[in-house]
Amino acid sequence: MSKPLLRARNLHKSYMMGREPLRVLKGASFDAEEGEFVVITGSSGSGKSTLLHVLGALDVPDRGTVEFDGRSLFDLADVARRRYRSHDVGFVFQFYHLLPECNVLENVLMARLVACSFWGWRQVRRQARHEAEELLERLGLSERLRHRPNELSGGERQRVAIARALINHPALLLADEPTGNLDTEVGRDILRLLTELNVAGQTIVMVTHDAKVAAHAHRYVRLSSGVIRKVESPADGRVSTGSAAKETIP
Amino acid sequence: MYKWFLASRYLYTKLIALFGVAAVTLCVAMVLVVLSVMGGFLDTVRSRSRGLHSEIVLEGGTLQGFPYYGEFGEHIQAEYPDLVDVTTPAIYTYAIFRVPATTWTKPARVLGVRLNDYVKVNDFQKGLHYDRYYPGTTRLGLQGIPVAGVVEPGTDAGRLPDAGTFRLPPDLEAANERWRLEETDPEAIRGFDVSPFQRAPFPYVTPAILGERVYSVDYGPPRYEGPEHYGVIVGCDLLNQRRDDGDFNRFLARGGDIALTLMPLSRTGTATGEPPIRVPLRYVDDSRTGIYEIDSLCVYVDFDMLQHKLAMDPQALVAGGHTPSRANQLLIGLKDGVDINAARDLIGQEWLRFYGSLLPEIHDVDALAMRNAEVYTWEDLQRPFIQAVEKEKVLVTFLFSLISMVAIVLIGCIFYMIVEKKTRDIGILKSLGASGRGVAGLFIVYAGAVGLVGTVLGTGLGATVVWYINDIQDFLAYLNPQLRVWSPDVYSFDKIPNVVKLPDALWIASLAVLSSIVGSLIPAWIAGRVWPVSALRYE
Ligand SMILES: Nc1ncnc2c1ncn2[C@@H]1O[C@H](COP(=O)(O)OP(=O)(O)OP(=O)(O)O)[C@@H](O)[C@H]1O
Ligand SMILES: [Mg+2]
Repeated sequence: MSKPLLRARNLHKSYMMGREPLRVLKGASFDAEEGEFVVITGSSGSGKSTLLHVLGALDVPDRGTVEFDGRSLFDLADVARRRYRSHDVGFVFQFYHLLPECNVLENVLMARLVACSFWGWRQVRRQARHEAEELLERLGLSERLRHRPNELSGGERQRVAIARALINHPALLLADEPTGNLDTEVGRDILRLLTELNVAGQTIVMVTHDAKVAAHAHRYVRLSSGVIRKVESPADGRVSTGSAAKETIP
Repeated sequence: MYKWFLASRYLYTKLIALFGVAAVTLCVAMVLVVLSVMGGFLDTVRSRSRGLHSEIVLEGGTLQGFPYYGEFGEHIQAEYPDLVDVTTPAIYTYAIFRVPATTWTKPARVLGVRLNDYVKVNDFQKGLHYDRYYPGTTRLGLQGIPVAGVVEPGTDAGRLPDAGTFRLPPDLEAANERWRLEETDPEAIRGFDVSPFQRAPFPYVTPAILGERVYSVDYGPPRYEGPEHYGVIVGCDLLNQRRDDGDFNRFLARGGDIALTLMPLSRTGTATGEPPIRVPLRYVDDSRTGIYEIDSLCVYVDFDMLQHKLAMDPQALVAGGHTPSRANQLLIGLKDGVDINAARDLIGQEWLRFYGSLLPEIHDVDALAMRNAEVYTWEDLQRPFIQAVEKEKVLVTFLFSLISMVAIVLIGCIFYMIVEKKTRDIGILKSLGASGRGVAGLFIVYAGAVGLVGTVLGTGLGATVVWYINDIQDFLAYLNPQLRVWSPDVYSFDKIPNVVKLPDALWIASLAVLSSIVGSLIPAWIAGRVWPVSALRYE
């Protein structure tokens, strides 16, 4: 049996547009369990990225809580929240967000470097490098280690971004439209990759506005009008309602 | 760790950093050049000033001078044998300087010195011209004109001067030989340009007896000619014309006639009522202290001769007895390693005691003159001059450092632009768990690296400019003579100081790196505060 890894409750978030506040999240609640592959869909501008950023502690909600492994993220000290970002979640962005000055290997290792001191790094350097190379090989990038991001295709870049997100073995992978900028063929490859990772035990929360993509997930929820509306399991077609409802993986 | 890694990566992948490097390079080079040149200038002024005087000077403060200088000299030499090395008196006065051959006249400050002792208390000898090539031949006593001639009259008769058989009198030839043997610099020997014809021989033209030539020429043997006069050493800029290469065109041959017109004073400082006296002298050498104000004004003659001419030697009194002889200064050379200020205080007290012991017996006028005399160190005497240069150095360095502040602002601008351009990278790093402080640190390290590279290049550039500064000036002057800024009339020295001191370079280097870091602080702080999501949201 799986247990809840991430638990978001009653999230509110609004942006100031001139004088008027633009309320994006209006009490969204969301759970993800260990080993689950959850897809969040919603129309463009519905606040999917906003929600995912909050879940990844890249943004703070106006109200509401996010608990990871039983700890409330926004009650944590800054250091602990940084540790959460670096060790507990991996983030994959729609626009890859690789460092242009660094090659593939360095981009992946950057996630490790950030957490290391100058001297600490000397001790783990070899090990980290080895792991990164292995991971990149698994993602089919062993030929591209020394390439700069601008020398890679969109699909390759996204795989590098995934490798970077995974290098610290995070419990949770958050992906914000990882296929959004790719053509269908390549997008399917990325989705297959994510599915494989999930089968190997990786918890994944993915955002997309493409309902077809949702077919890869165990479960998908819809964000509209600032709340998580429905929870469906596309695999068996069952539909349930209620924000707190959960579905187990067969 | 990522700070160091990314900073180094940014350093050589981002073109914009080169502007920062260039700014730092230029500022470091500029300040280094200014500090080195001004520092070298100051050092030269100090060392030249040091070479001008003895360590300690008992200065009379008046033109008519003070008495019992000699007794005091012997007294302290006997009293403080560990302290006092040499004492030697000096007289200074003003005179009209005239070269009879040209009817030139100029004002001159005349120093009466005992040359043998005078060269022991200061660097005077180093600046003598003929004394270098003919060591030991520069004397202030009575002497004739050295004239070149042929060694064996008859055999060499009829040869032209460039046949190279002309010789100076034997003592001069021997001295020159000695110099050649002792001189270690072959360049100097090859460049030896003191014509053996210090006085061109006047040929005796006689009808030829044999051969095609109508005339044969007999130059006579090397010899001393003319009436014997006391010697005079003339400041190099008083008589000669300075050439661009730093040497001089000498118009007057060695041994040439010079006349000084002196004005004797009584011991109370009043004119004696006698007409000014004219003293004919032999030009024996020229002196170069390196300070233009001195070299264009001073001439040096024999102490005892001058004392006598100025009536500062003992004079018979109507009431019987004699006045004591007077001098204007007593120069005191100290033993090596003696603390100069302590010595000054000690000798000053001794002078007062000496004065007190004489007081009952001496005339009021002499007592007053002695009371006016005071003991100084060479630094005390040159302080106004040295201080002016010191202040100048501080001021110029300050001004240029102020200009270098521009580099700080420039670094600030450049880093602000870099931070703007790198906002997305900052967001990425933060999403990977980097702290605000860490990201700020990245930009500070980056700025430090820019500063360091700029400093290394700037130190190299500045040092090169300093080392070749005289060649640069020569080149500029070649393009346009107006660009010769370092003129000997203005700066006393013909060469721009071109030494870089390590402490100066280190100071500037550390300040430059620090300035770069300071310049980046605000942008770094801004970078640290970037909120990850706002940096990541849009492509
Ligand atoms: N920093 C901001 N300031 C003001 N408004 C913002 C800001 N960020 C997002 N918004 C607004 O919030 C709303 C939700 O944005 P969000 O990016 O979360 O939507 P989305 O569901 O991810 O859309 P898409 O599918 O196009 O990526 C949008 O209307 C957007 O304009
Ligand atoms: Mg989005």
